[in-house]
Amino acid sequence: MRLGSFGSKLTISLLPAILIIGFFCVIGVASFIALLAFQDLSNWHQTLSSRYIWRLLEFSIWQALLSSLLSLVIAIPVTSALMHRRFMGRDFLLQLFSISLVVPTIVAILGIVVVYGRSGWITSVTDIELPLYGLFGILLAHVFFNMPLAVRILIQSHSLIPSGQWRLSYQLGFSRWNLFRWVEWPYLRKALPGAFLLIFMLCFTSFAVVLSLGGGPKSSTLEVAIYQALKFEFDIAKASVLSLLQVFVCTLIAVLVYRFASAYQQDFSLKQLDSFPVKDSLQAKCFDWGVLALALLILLPPFIAILSPIFTPLFIDMLWQEATWQAVWVSIKIAFPSAALSLLLAVGFVSLARASMDRPGWSWLPNKLEYLGGMILILPSLVMATGLFLLLRNLGIAAFDQAYWVVVWVNAVMALPFVLRVVLPTFYQQEKRYRKLYQSLGIRGWARLKIEWPMVRNSVAQATAYALLLSLGDMSVIALFGSQGLLSLPLYLFQLIGSYRIEQGACIAVILVLLCFALFSISTRLIGGKSHA
Amino acid sequence: MRTPYITSIALATLASLSLSATVVQADEAKTLNVYTYDSFASDWGPGPKIKANFEKECACTLNYVTLDSSVGILSRVQLEGSSSKADVLLGLDLNLMQAAKASGLVSEHNVDTSKVTTPGGWSDSYFVPFDQGYFAFIYNTETLNEVPKSLKEVVENQDLSVIYQDPRTSTPGLGLMLWMKSVYGDDAGKAWQTLASHTKTVTKGWYDGYSMFLKGEADLVLSYTTSPAYHMVVESESKYKAVPASEGFYPQVEVAAQLKNAPNKALADKFMQFILTQGFQGEVATGNWMFPVIELGDALPKAFTDLEQPAKVLTLPAEQVAAKRKQWINEWLDSVTQ
Repeated sequence: MRLGSFGSKLTISLLPAILIIGFFCVIGVASFIALLAFQDLSNWHQTLSSRYIWRLLEFSIWQALLSSLLSLVIAIPVTSALMHRRFMGRDFLLQLFSISLVVPTIVAILGIVVVYGRSGWITSVTDIELPLYGLFGILLAHVFFNMPLAVRILIQSHSLIPSGQWRLSYQLGFSRWNLFRWVEWPYLRKALPGAFLLIFMLCFTSFAVVLSLGGGPKSSTLEVAIYQALKFEFDIAKASVLSLLQVFVCTLIAVLVYRFASAYQQDFSLKQLDSFPVKDSLQAKCFDWGVLALALLILLPPFIAILSPIFTPLFIDMLWQEATWQAVWVSIKIAFPSAALSLLLAVGFVSLARASMDRPGWSWLPNKLEYLGGMILILPSLVMATGLFLLLRNLGIAAFDQAYWVVVWVNAVMALPFVLRVVLPTFYQQEKRYRKLYQSLGIRGWARLKIEWPMVRNSVAQATAYALLLSLGDMSVIALFGSQGLLSLPLYLFQLIGSYRIEQGACIAVILVLLCFALFSISTRLIGGKSHA
Repeated sequence: MRTPYITSIALATLASLSLSATVVQADEAKTLNVYTYDSFASDWGPGPKIKANFEKECACTLNYVTLDSSVGILSRVQLEGSSSKADVLLGLDLNLMQAAKASGLVSEHNVDTSKVTTPGGWSDSYFVPFDQGYFAFIYNTETLNEVPKSLKEVVENQDLSVIYQDPRTSTPGLGLMLWMKSVYGDDAGKAWQTLASHTKTVTKGWYDGYSMFLKGEADLVLSYTTSPAYHMVVESESKYKAVPASEGFYPQVEVAAQLKNAPNKALADKFMQFILTQGFQGEVATGNWMFPVIELGDALPKAFTDLEQPAKVLTLPAEQVAAKRKQWINEWLDSVTQ
């Protein structure tokens, strides 16, 4: 009896959340059906029998595997060093990590080209010509993006280490290595499978990096092949086969990873309150500083390269051009609605997930919801966008705006896994720690949110910032649907790089980065509050 | 209750979304939408002048919607289907005509094409040609001493570094693929492998590849026999020349078509007629750096008449190209990635 009433209460108060998630699912399924109308089964065989497709698949997996392993191998010691050392510029470094996580792909690519390219810094100083276009360039760019991502994920896990363990290890006089081995590693290890999977999928489905740095059909991925099938051949059947192949591989990897990984367990104990000093040694010092220097060496040069044209006359020139501001406007016009949508979706997912966690009969749901929200990581966004576009077309919605709305929606969905990743753990933690308290005091809904807000606003701010910046920097869906009426900053930049107008491109990159900075600090200040910025 | 919280956020989001949706609508009755590729409509291309010339005659606005490659024009309207706002497609070529017809999106034209000067005349009832040329490899006479004399020598001489375009994305790339096919036939796959061993890079579009060549990144680049005319007229520079082809050159004819569901049929008709007049053809030579498709007489710059005319022209039947394009592209992919 008690269980029954509980269940129905759950459904009614969560109706809006269920509607939101339902809407999300309906659009996804309808887009898929719209795609099916264009299928031609005879093409499947033709596509799958092409040797080139299997070579692509092999390369896609290989580069993703290398990229994610490299990123993690660097990220683990970096995380540990960052959490141990307090030094001037540590906040700067942390900021740099979060920025390179959301810096528009195409901007970073420009930076990498300027530093490592044919007439780049390295070549002009050392006279060594690096083989940037191909596997090397792809790995470089992927580590640039994903090592910081790995660090952010590991830091979250690291900060869950209860203060009792720090105190104990201090009392026992653990060395830096033993501390890592016995205290940090067990916590970091739990985050590794998830982090590996996320990065593997990001790299496996990597698009702009491979398109710009792959250097021809040899070093190409499935995602790029899907783009080419849609953009140049209008071969929806081929694109669908390739996406199914991609989904299959991603699922297989996900199953394998979770099969051999221990489940992620949230800890009940209180957060770390104070830091306890560690027994230091010269070796430990050298190691930590060396690792941090390496991280800096990977991250900093492309940033400097991007910002270098600020003081040139060309930059002032570009500022006066209408095309520049047109692109800024298009970018903003896309970023805000899609960030809002993404947050709205996240609210739906979070509400339902946490209301059902640990409730009898419902505890399976949060996990499934998390998978659902992360679907886009394995479903190629280009195919989803095409399906949605065809759906809108079949419904008879005007052709020009339709492209805009497709870009907005797909960007929102693409940001969702990142938004969820940031907000879910925080909300779960709140639920686990205080639910009984709230229940016994009868605090619910709005009143509860007001009490919770100071504790969750930081992650909400971070989520907003990510959603904004991801949409601002998107260079996948827009590459398919953009035209001169819908030319965002990243697409404009991509075109400039493509036509080797690197100097102009660098100026656009600066503008895009400044816009990102502005929106990032606005959202972290406004939503996160001063003390959390 | 949690409900009001979620609901209010939902409402706020919807409100902000609908606000941003308020898009200013242009006066559509008087606007002709022409889908074309980027360099045609760019400031340095023929687009702006042609726009001005046409607008003088039609009392309307010509609006270019640019796509980043010629092949992309077709797939874009295929994607948009019958709800597309395109009136005219400008920039497909001979080898895409069959695919475009098969899509069922283009309609027949009412233009008199009897004066067209393409090899063998023009009889297609769907497409109107707007410029023509021949694919050729371009070299710099100051840096290249041993000039190849044929396509075979370009392919087989391992000392030459070559840039060409991707046949999946650009019409010159596609043209080269057909050129290779008509010279090598069933051995094309092997020939691609040989070429791949001294290929500098395969670019997405013509502009990328040509820019790299001008920066000295390669000995040869795939372009047109007319490219040297650009350097002569604009830069008074005569060091760039086209590599001769003893097997014969492969032609490109760029074409336009109007759409069956063109929102503005009357203007589309008018524009199709306009293509074969002086107002359009006069801008083609020094804007797109291609030959016009009607006799212009003295209006054609001297640099063009000085260019070497191909002794022999190779062409594959359009039906064969349409039927085999995918298979040949796969052959190319297979060979160059080995």
